[in-house]
Amino acid sequence: MRVPIVLKQIAAFTKRDFYSWSTYRTAAITQIINILIGVFSWGVRASYVQRAVNEMYESDYISFLIVGIAIGNLIMPLVQGVERRLNPWTLETILMTNLSTSVFVIGNVMFNYLFSIITFVPYLVIGVLFFGAKLSVNVPATIVAFIISAAILMGLAMISSGLRIVTKSTDPITWAINVLQNLFSGIAFPVVYLDTIFFPGVSTFSWFLPQTWVYHLCRLSMLTNPSLTDPEIAVQFLKGLAFALILLPIGYRTFKWGVNRSKREGTLGHY
Amino acid sequence: MGGHYMMRMGGVRSLSSIVEVLKGTNGPFITALSDVDLQVEDGEIFGILGPNGAGKTTLIKILCTLVLHDEGEALVNGFDVKREPGRVLDNLQAVLPGSRGFTWRLTGRQNLEFYALLYGLEDETARKRIDYLLELTGLLERADDGYQRYSTGMQRKLLLCRGLLRDAPILLFDEPTTGLDPFSASEFRKLLRDRLVKEEGKTILMSTHNLFEAQEMCDRIAILDRGRITACDTPDNIRYKLVDESQFTVTLHETVYGVEHEGMLDQLQGITGVYGVTPDVGSDGAFRGLTVRVDKNIDLSTVMRVLIEHNLRIKGLNTVEPTLEDAFIAMTGRRPGGPGMRERRFRG
Repeated sequence: MRVPIVLKQIAAFTKRDFYSWSTYRTAAITQIINILIGVFSWGVRASYVQRAVNEMYESDYISFLIVGIAIGNLIMPLVQGVERRLNPWTLETILMTNLSTSVFVIGNVMFNYLFSIITFVPYLVIGVLFFGAKLSVNVPATIVAFIISAAILMGLAMISSGLRIVTKSTDPITWAINVLQNLFSGIAFPVVYLDTIFFPGVSTFSWFLPQTWVYHLCRLSMLTNPSLTDPEIAVQFLKGLAFALILLPIGYRTFKWGVNRSKREGTLGHY
Repeated sequence: MGGHYMMRMGGVRSLSSIVEVLKGTNGPFITALSDVDLQVEDGEIFGILGPNGAGKTTLIKILCTLVLHDEGEALVNGFDVKREPGRVLDNLQAVLPGSRGFTWRLTGRQNLEFYALLYGLEDETARKRIDYLLELTGLLERADDGYQRYSTGMQRKLLLCRGLLRDAPILLFDEPTTGLDPFSASEFRKLLRDRLVKEEGKTILMSTHNLFEAQEMCDRIAILDRGRITACDTPDNIRYKLVDESQFTVTLHETVYGVEHEGMLDQLQGITGVYGVTPDVGSDGAFRGLTVRVDKNIDLSTVMRVLIEHNLRIKGLNTVEPTLEDAFIAMTGRRPGGPGMRERRFRG
C-alpha cells in the first residue's frame, strides 16, 4: 500500500525530532528524571491532603491529581512544539518548501505529543502502584478524549504560533490562557469548587478555556469509566468536540494571518 | 511612500508594475524597493549588485514568496508570486545563507532526506537525487557526518544541495559566497556557472556586493541603490558607460625630481580633460613615474607631448581600465558593503 506523502512528511518531522532528542543524551536523561521527580512530588502532595473528590468525578484526590498532572504533561509539549520551532531560518526554509500549514504544525508537535503519551503511562503506573490511585478507564472514551484534546491543543498551538510570528515574542492570548488555566481549568481541583470558594456561577468561565475541556474529558474517561452511548456523557464529549471544531479553524486562520502579515511587513525573518 | 517595480523571471513578458512598500504596524514606513523593472532571461546569470540595505535581499524574498509586495507584479515563469505562490515555488528555489534550517545533530544526508520529503519527493527519486547532488558538490564522502562537523564551505554546499533537490529551473542566491575562503568561493562559483548554468541550463539570479564575483559570473547585472535600479546591463557595458574617467601610469627611466618638474605638473594639470596628476617620487628624490587621471575621451598625445618636451625618458605606459567597482561607486557614491561619499570624478 502506498503511504500518502503527507503522512511521510509528518513521519519525517517526528524522525528528525527523535534523532535530535536522542543525541542530546544528557537532556533526554534529565527530562526523564524531571518526569519521575514530578510524579512523585505531586503524588506525595496528594497523599498529604488526601480527601474524597465528590464533585464531577466521584473519585479520590490522589487519583484525581495524578491523572490531572499526567494530562498536564500531555498538554504543555503540544502547545510548545511549534513555538520552539519558530525561528527565522527554520520558518523561512519550511515555507519555501510549499509544505501545507497543517503538515507543518502537526509535524512539529508530533514527536512531543508521542513522547508525552509515552511518558503518560509511567505517570499512571507510578500513581497506581506507589500512591494507590484508582483508575476506572473506558478505553474508547479515552481514545476519543485524546483525539479531541489533540485537536483543541493543536488549535491553541496554531493561534499561539500565528501570534508569535507577529509579536516575535510571547503572544498575549496564549499567555493569558496559560495563566488563567492555573486557576480556572481545574488542574488541582474540580472546577465547580470555584463556585464554593468564590461565588456561584464563576466556574462557567472555566468552560471557555481550552485546557478545561482537555482535563475534563480525560478525567471523565479515566476516572469514571463512562460509556459514550450514555447521553449525558455523549453531550460532554460533543461539547468538547464543538470546542475543538471552533478552535481548529480559528487556529488555522490565525496562523495564516500571522504568516501573511509578517510577509507583508517583511519581518518573517526577524526575531 | 512607494515606487514602481516590475520583475520577470524566466523569459515571460509582463508589463505591469509593482509599488513596494513595507508597512510596519506603527511605522515608520519604509520604501524597500521602487522603480525596479527587470527581466531575467532563461539560462542567464543575473546579478543584483548593491550596498548594504539597498534592497537586494528584499527583492529575492519577494520572488521566493517570503515577502509580499503591496502593489504591482512579479512573475516567475509566468506565475504571479502573490497569486500563485505554490506554482512559483515549483519553478524556483532560493538559497539563502541566513535561513539554514538544518538540524545540527543529523547527518548531511539525513538533513537532505528530511527536506526531500518536505518537497514531496518519493523515496527512490529522493535517494538518487541526493546521491547525485552530494557527488556534484563533493560532499559524498562526508555525507554521513553530523552537520555540526561541517565547515562553513561544506554547510554552504549542503545548502546548495537542498536548493537543488527539486531540480527547479530557476535558482536565487543571496550573497552566495559570503563567509567562504577564496578557494571555496572560487569552487562554488565554478559549480554554479559551469555545472548548473552551462550544463543543466538553469537560470540564476544572485545578489552580491562582491564585484569580482559579479564581473566573473554574471551575464548581466543591475545596480540597486536605496531600492532603485540605477543601471542594468552587461558588466562590461556598465564599466565603460558609467565611468567618465580613465587613468594611466607612466613609468620613467629614473631621474632626479626637480623644480622644472613642478612646472611640468602644472602644465599637465592645465590640459583640458586632465583631472589630476600624481608624481611617484621616492624618499631619495628619484622621479620614477606619474599617474594621470583623464577624461576617457581625451586625446592622450596632448599629455605625451608635454612629457616629451620636458625630456623625460619613458620606460612604460599603462592604461588602467575602469573596474566594476569604479562604476559601482559612480552609481551609488559608496563602496560595496559600506557607506561613503560620492567621489567627484564620477558622473553622479
